[in-house]
Amino acid sequence: MNQMLSAKVLEYRGKTLDFSPENPAEAKIPADELHEHLQKPSTARTKRLKERCRWKHASAGEFVEKGVRAGIERMRYITEAHKASIGQPEVIRRALGLANVLNKSTLVLQPDECIVGYHAEDPNQFPLYPELSSMGVQDFLMSDYAPQPAEEAAEIHKYWMPYSLQAKCQPYFDPTDLRRMYQFSSMEAPPFVSGYNSIVPPYETVLQDGLLARIKLAESHIADAQKAMSAFPWDGTKGLDYIEKIDNWKAMIIACKAVISWARRQGRLCKIVAEHFETNPKRQAELLEIADICHRVPAEPCKGLKDAFQAKFFTFLICHAIERYASGYAQKEDSLLWPYYKASVIDKSFQPMDHMEVVELVEMERLKVSEHGAGKSRGYREIFPGANDLFILTVGGTNADGSDACTDMTDAILEGAKRIRTPEPSIVFRYSKKNREKTLHWVFECIRDGLGYPSIKNDDIGTNQMLEYSQYSITGNGATNEEAHSWACVLCMSPGVTGRRKTQKTRSEGGGALFPAKILEVALNDGYDWSYADMQLGPNTGGIETLKTFDDVLEAFRKQYRYALQMCLSTKDVSRYFEIRCMQMPFVSAIDDGCMELGMDANALSEQPNGWQNPVTTIVAANSLVAIKKLVFDDKKYTLEQLNDALMANWEGFDEMRADFRKAPKWGNDDPYADEIITSFYEDIIGGEMRKITNYSGGPVLPVGQAVGAYMEVGSRTGPTPDGRFGGEAADDGGISPYMGTDKKGPTAVLRSVAKVQKNQKANLLNQRLSVPIMRSKHGFDIWHSYMNTWFDLNIDHVQFNVVSTEELRAAQREPEKHHDLIVRVSGYSARFVDIPTYGQNTIIARQEQDFGAEDLEFLDVDI
Amino acid sequence: MEADTCKQCAQFFSVPKDADDYEAGKADCVLEKEDEKGKYWLSKPVTENSKRCDSFRLKR
Ligand code: SF4
Repeated sequence: MNQMLSAKVLEYRGKTLDFSPENPAEAKIPADELHEHLQKPSTARTKRLKERCRWKHASAGEFVEKGVRAGIERMRYITEAHKASIGQPEVIRRALGLANVLNKSTLVLQPDECIVGYHAEDPNQFPLYPELSSMGVQDFLMSDYAPQPAEEAAEIHKYWMPYSLQAKCQPYFDPTDLRRMYQFSSMEAPPFVSGYNSIVPPYETVLQDGLLARIKLAESHIADAQKAMSAFPWDGTKGLDYIEKIDNWKAMIIACKAVISWARRQGRLCKIVAEHFETNPKRQAELLEIADICHRVPAEPCKGLKDAFQAKFFTFLICHAIERYASGYAQKEDSLLWPYYKASVIDKSFQPMDHMEVVELVEMERLKVSEHGAGKSRGYREIFPGANDLFILTVGGTNADGSDACTDMTDAILEGAKRIRTPEPSIVFRYSKKNREKTLHWVFECIRDGLGYPSIKNDDIGTNQMLEYSQYSITGNGATNEEAHSWACVLCMSPGVTGRRKTQKTRSEGGGALFPAKILEVALNDGYDWSYADMQLGPNTGGIETLKTFDDVLEAFRKQYRYALQMCLSTKDVSRYFEIRCMQMPFVSAIDDGCMELGMDANALSEQPNGWQNPVTTIVAANSLVAIKKLVFDDKKYTLEQLNDALMANWEGFDEMRADFRKAPKWGNDDPYADEIITSFYEDIIGGEMRKITNYSGGPVLPVGQAVGAYMEVGSRTGPTPDGRFGGEAADDGGISPYMGTDKKGPTAVLRSVAKVQKNQKANLLNQRLSVPIMRSKHGFDIWHSYMNTWFDLNIDHVQFNVVSTEELRAAQREPEKHHDLIVRVSGYSARFVDIPTYGQNTIIARQEQDFGAEDLEFLDVDI
Repeated sequence: MEADTCKQCAQFFSVPKDADDYEAGKADCVLEKEDEKGKYWLSKPVTENSKRCDSFRLKR
């Protein structure tokens, strides 16, 4: 068996660089089991918690662990309240629905945990949302994961058929168009069908004010409104506006009171267990402390770090899982918790603790998130292979005044992640040249340990983007210069502001995908999908015989792409229209300063536009266009008809031709021919066409190239492509990442290619796989740091890394039971490698492992 | 009949009078469960008139 680190050496600037491990003890670790030696939970408690963690990962659409299933309680109680509230204003009905769920649902407490709360009646279950998508629930009813009793679940599902968001939105679209979207091959299904959602909860108001203060605010707004309505002389053009506002404030009060009472009930459970079940005096005391915390927060402002972690988690559960489903874990966590870190660790004024106790809390929070199940339909479980849901928090970057935002809280978050080694939540680090080196070391430690995170975002690009979007604010109240610094990634990649107001509340603002590789396939076939659905998938734009020039090919693509854009964006805005009218979120509204001030629902109020849509599989399309231009139109070696014949045969019998198309220039090699075509494709078509759209919020929609696992799912639905890819093979694994194994000119050539795309982009995911021996050597940090500074200077938006050897990946395929701690970066998320199906595992193995040569170090100006 | 209700159950814990959700006769039913991942506790609202379930254990 190979030892972990080869004795690689490199001549550089007259020196011989030796890449032996920084930690000499690692030299004895076999290369194929490194990851199993890296976890170091900070306490025996977090080690136990990890060992018994109730993961909710799915592989090929199936839950990996036994016993995971949908619960019935949320759907039961939301339905019961809906039936009982007929005749009341819709927003009040939504608040009563939430209150009924919170008042009646079963609460869960597990041993050892210090952050408490769950969103279903059993720790192996997760809730469903019949009011959102009837197809989404139907999917569960037909599966082994159906809520029990199944008859009751079926009845609830039937009850919601005329009331669901899906039922409200569907009539406004041609069923033919919707059927095309349901294929999930050129477009993602509309949010009113998928039920998929994302949000950035304004956690700050909960932690800083507490919900009792929010209730008081709403009450005083109602009193003021009633006073205004009774003031002489009556003005019907203004006075009637108060009706909706009063209803919204009343709904906020109902929601906040229910959340307080639910949290206190959780505290009571802790107290009862302490006094009647628990025998360990230390744990009894701890449970009584948690009971006290749950009594105080989120009702009152947080005073210490334990308060803040708990109030934040309660808020997460309500915003992401109980009031409505939403993916994500969007927050600027280090900034959010820093005041409480100061109170508890530095000032020791409340809940005094030392730094390592904070690290333990971070580990516990990570394990709570790891246990959080999401009721996503099978299609959505399939596109997140190895994952549970998307959970991504953000740290680092700069403060409102432009200074470094890294603190000891940032370091605790990173240290906790490194020690406990869980795939979720993923971490985004906002990279700025102002970031302190101490924190950068923690970032690097996580990366070189192979966690796949932090994924790195360019702090300047994100901040400037918030300011750009702010100009389009329909209320004239977009992010200020200071607020623009407070961004976090909404999901994997797209920045959105955090804070007390102006945050993104619904995925109908930004999110959802479309798939250029499939769009190109049908553009070459008059809009017909011959390889997967065998149906017309887009408009008739002409058969291959009509495409006489390369521009004709591009224009056919453009028309098909416009059709997909139109469908994706119009269905999102129609979803928004009905979200405002029947899917109100009174709790989210209550904790948003804008909604509170204006008496508006969170779906309705848009202060900061944040429109985006995710093109996934763009590089397969782009490399294909390059190959077509070179071999058909420039070299004239083949005709389009010949290419078409080869594609229809899945290249069978066309080996030589396929070899030529595979050899055509590819993205990621700093190749001027390929890069010119691809840059223009990104800037003019992918981004340029999308930018023409204005969404509900009045701003442009821009592309966020991120792939989740859709690059596998959609790859399997995409026929053979002119880049030499066989039909059904995975597509490219990220927004702007080179196709796996085709970036042969080293890591800096990749950077030079990627840096060429600058216009009309919101975010673009760049996956890179770095050499394990180099990263784990004593030169690892210096090389990575120089790489990051060069990346920053090239104005690149994003990069993330796999640092894992092929030997170890292969060993895990052979003996998965021995590799539970092997984590890899899939695309916008990390996953335990053994939880990914083989098809997906092979796409990770196939990625180019980048070594650094002397010329790369020279380009990066590494000072060793 | 009181014997058929939750009231006499060892897992019946009356909601304190100063709680937000206090109602006369309302209680938390707290059950200890165990599966292959370990122990956990569940709490659901019941009333003293709720019909007792199969997990009933007589209060000492
Ligand atoms: S529901 Fe069952 S376990 Fe709970 S208090 Fe009533 S009888 Fe006891």
